[in-house]
Amino acid sequence: MIMDKKKLIPAVSIIILLIGSASSIYVYATQIGESTISLNGQKYSIDQLFFIAEPRSFDSLNFSGISLDDLILKVGIGFPNRQDYTIVGADGYQKTVVWENMENGLLTYEKMVVFSDLPKSFRVKDVVKIEVI
Amino acid sequence: MDKKKLFVGIIVFGSLWGFAECIIGPVLDDAGLPSGAFMTGVFAIGLMTISRMLYKQRGMQLGMGIVAGALRMFNPLSGYVICSAIAIAAEGIIFEFIWYSMSLDLKELKTYTMKISTGFISAYFCYIGGYIITQILTPLAASANFYVGNLIVFIPQILSRGLLAALIGGVTVPLVLILKDFEINSIKDKLYYSTAAAVSVLCWFFIITNALLLIGS
Repeated sequence: MIMDKKKLIPAVSIIILLIGSASSIYVYATQIGESTISLNGQKYSIDQLFFIAEPRSFDSLNFSGISLDDLILKVGIGFPNRQDYTIVGADGYQKTVVWENMENGLLTYEKMVVFSDLPKSFRVKDVVKIEVI
Repeated sequence: MDKKKLFVGIIVFGSLWGFAECIIGPVLDDAGLPSGAFMTGVFAIGLMTISRMLYKQRGMQLGMGIVAGALRMFNPLSGYVICSAIAIAAEGIIFEFIWYSMSLDLKELKTYTMKISTGFISAYFCYIGGYIITQILTPLAASANFYVGNLIVFIPQILSRGLLAALIGGVTVPLVLILKDFEINSIKDKLYYSTAAAVSVLCWFFIITNALLLIGS
């Protein structure tokens, strides 16, 4: 049994090394380098979005930016409370939320989405896309 | 192993792990370093390996994960760090699972190939396992919806990030195993319990004070 482990454990670590390296290459190759944010198919610069939507801040979390729900309303998405929203980061990290969460969310100037009613794992950095689904 | 001694060991090592997660982790994060990989590769794997080596008991690392996860919840805005607490507890479970077939005296870990490989595998699976479990359980704990698609598209990124944790774990385990011949039972009870109590109290004191200071600021 010990003999088996002597072969198995190094072999598994080599497989992990290959998987990790291949994933790193894939991630690097598919990284999105966008300066704009795509909102329901339309591209906006962060300055445009800050011009369109109302400001919002979460003092207790130390974040300020623009309100996500107001942004959705201002870009003219119909029946916003019946839609789900997927926020996508440049690294592929994405989170889908409902309208109630958007009402408690903001987009910072550094293109980070923060929700006051959701855990930290729902924060998306370097947002490149907000999809209405 | 005396059960009382083991229980105290779980509290001490769990508190040290929780202290690292609450105090050192955010500092690394603020410095722009990949804190998740460092926390798993150095502190989680380091402390769990030390405890397995010293106490020679299965199940202890699961207890440590629960203690450290509970401590993480003591941070300010505890409702928002639930993901970290879940990940920490998950790392304890995954470590137990990986090391279950390992002998208690760790006789398999004689060569550097085995030490490095074990650290590499343990850190990788603890990191990616903790990450995936927290992505699934956090929305459920926060009464939000979990979308499988959101997780699937991010799997390559998780597998990639785990590599750094694995490399760090591959260094941590051989370093920790230098202390392999140390015998915990050789410490006199009075010294053991008083040191354990002092270390645990200090960890909890720093975490709670830090939390209160952050809330007050």
